[in-house]
Amino acid sequence: MPNFTDLTGLGSTAIAVVAMLMQIPATAHIPKVRLVVFLGAVFVLSLLPFGEMPITAYIRGVTGDLSITTLVLLLNVPVTKILSQLFPRVGTTAPKARALLMLVAFTSAAFYPLALGIGMFDPYRMGYGDPFFITALLLIILFAWFKKSTLIVLCIVLSTLTWSLNWYESSNLWDYLLDPFLAIYALVSTTRLLGRRFLNRNPLHKSSKT
Amino acid sequence: MALPSLRQFLLLVLAALAFSLAFYKSSRAPAPAPFQWPTQILDPDDFVAKMRTRFVSPRQNVSTHAASLLEMNDGRIRAFWFSGSREGAADVEIRTAVFDPELDKWSDDVSIVDRNTTQRALLRFVKKIGNPVPLRTPDGTLQLFYVTVSVGGWAGSSITVITSTDEGTTWGPPRRLVTSPFINISTLVKGSPFAYNDRTIGLPVYHEFIGKFGELLRLSPSGEVIDKQRLSSGRLGIQPVMLIKNQQQAIILMRHTGTSQKRVIATATADAGRHWSAPELTTLANPDAAVSGVALSDGRILVALNDTEMNREVLSLAASSDGGASWKTIYVLEDQREQITDPVRYLQLSEELARATDSNITDPSAYAASAQRNKCTGQSCQFEFSYPYMIQTRNGDLHLVYTWNRSFIKHVSFSSTWLIQRLNESAIGTSPNAQLH
Repeated sequence: MPNFTDLTGLGSTAIAVVAMLMQIPATAHIPKVRLVVFLGAVFVLSLLPFGEMPITAYIRGVTGDLSITTLVLLLNVPVTKILSQLFPRVGTTAPKARALLMLVAFTSAAFYPLALGIGMFDPYRMGYGDPFFITALLLIILFAWFKKSTLIVLCIVLSTLTWSLNWYESSNLWDYLLDPFLAIYALVSTTRLLGRRFLNRNPLHKSSKT
Repeated sequence: MALPSLRQFLLLVLAALAFSLAFYKSSRAPAPAPFQWPTQILDPDDFVAKMRTRFVSPRQNVSTHAASLLEMNDGRIRAFWFSGSREGAADVEIRTAVFDPELDKWSDDVSIVDRNTTQRALLRFVKKIGNPVPLRTPDGTLQLFYVTVSVGGWAGSSITVITSTDEGTTWGPPRRLVTSPFINISTLVKGSPFAYNDRTIGLPVYHEFIGKFGELLRLSPSGEVIDKQRLSSGRLGIQPVMLIKNQQQAIILMRHTGTSQKRVIATATADAGRHWSAPELTTLANPDAAVSGVALSDGRILVALNDTEMNREVLSLAASSDGGASWKTIYVLEDQREQITDPVRYLQLSEELARATDSNITDPSAYAASAQRNKCTGQSCQFEFSYPYMIQTRNGDLHLVYTWNRSFIKHVSFSSTWLIQRLNESAIGTSPNAQLH
């Protein structure tokens, strides 16, 4: 009988596979019923054992358990679409991820080098329930809440909640907040964004365009 | 100021719930605790100076490495090691055998876990397994921590644990520890785990991905990682070995991975591991090879190591009576420096060494052939005596196992009386009649 944390880990990997398929533009042209059946079939098949293990077990062997933040980002647009179709009067749109990605990028740029051995300070240690770390996260979400950065609040709150409930096999809160794939994506997108802003503000660049 | 929308309000409620649970969980984390000490020496030996050697397993033509030991409740010794067609191969298994000191004999060895059983239980792909280290938990069960790799080489390792409630005859399903933020890769074990007084467990581990550094994990009695501390940083040292002197004091020795000043690294604590001193070089030479040791009950420290700056052809016992400030070699277990190592001569020397290790073996040439298989490349061969692992049993005897030419595990046992003689001959310690138990 698999552990609860193996089931959540495999389930999260399967959700990530389905969510990534939904990001493919071509899926927008598939009739809704067929799309639901197709994605449902992918979800189930990815969890069924082929040979010794399900396909998601091989993916999980390489990727580890994806952070809650990654899952929220992957599901952000599709879930909002579904909700807006279910409740057309509310007419919600997906929250913008820009502020969240910048926060992830700056945090990752400081966190990973230190956690991987530069110097004697290890920020990863704080993830084992350090009350100051939890307080810092609380202050961040309160600030983000006042600024209406819904996605930042949602990611940190769901990560903290799932960590408190021992959702994954990791007992470290950082593993719920961040993962290297998310960090790389956030660093690349933030660098591109800042690069574009810099070029747009640079008068030399503007004049060279005209 | 505008009132928050229903969505914003619900988010705040969810946040209140999440952070209430988080602070509650944080408040239940165990407080710092003293080390479990002393190790009770219940049954002193017969004061005979004895020292014996033998091989743990006769399995031939396999690659064998990374042995570790644990004393069983009945006084027998259980060994663990990994073995397969080559290090890192898919057929590598963790194997075990039991040594009966009364009979002076090892049992037949058996496999307890392999790559397939591990990946089926963990529900994740596992490419290879390695380095097993055992622990008796405060409740009496045995835990065996070992290394698993899903991607890449040993730098891609994570730690898996299995548990036994019948002294190691049968083992429960593997469970993985998450110890690193980078896809949980690059945490390995080599040094002996230990217990704190509050039933939590200390597990010395190390990283060798971008950095090479030692860490100390603290696990709850149920095996959940609850804390970790960094012992060194950068690319200085790996494979920490914990030597507990009393409830508050301990030193940790680490294999030096730097390219210059090839010396064993040490760090110390005087407050049960809340704080560790900055890592320093000791006077012990180290060719980037594992160290093992025991803190003796009279305060002296005994280590087994390759005490040269190059290669692993020499293995010695060294001791310190001043907490690790100075060391003296008290006995040379192996020394094959400056031997001609063409395959023919290597075969002859290996056969002699096998016969000297255990006079009861009937086929020393087969042992030599196994060594040649693993340690000769073309016309060049090299002796290797490495990866020591040493324990002291309740009767005061010491047991040391190490890799013998990557082919066998060699077992050296010696009584505390034999050790005291060696210590006294080397003028280690202030009292010539010091008792170790």
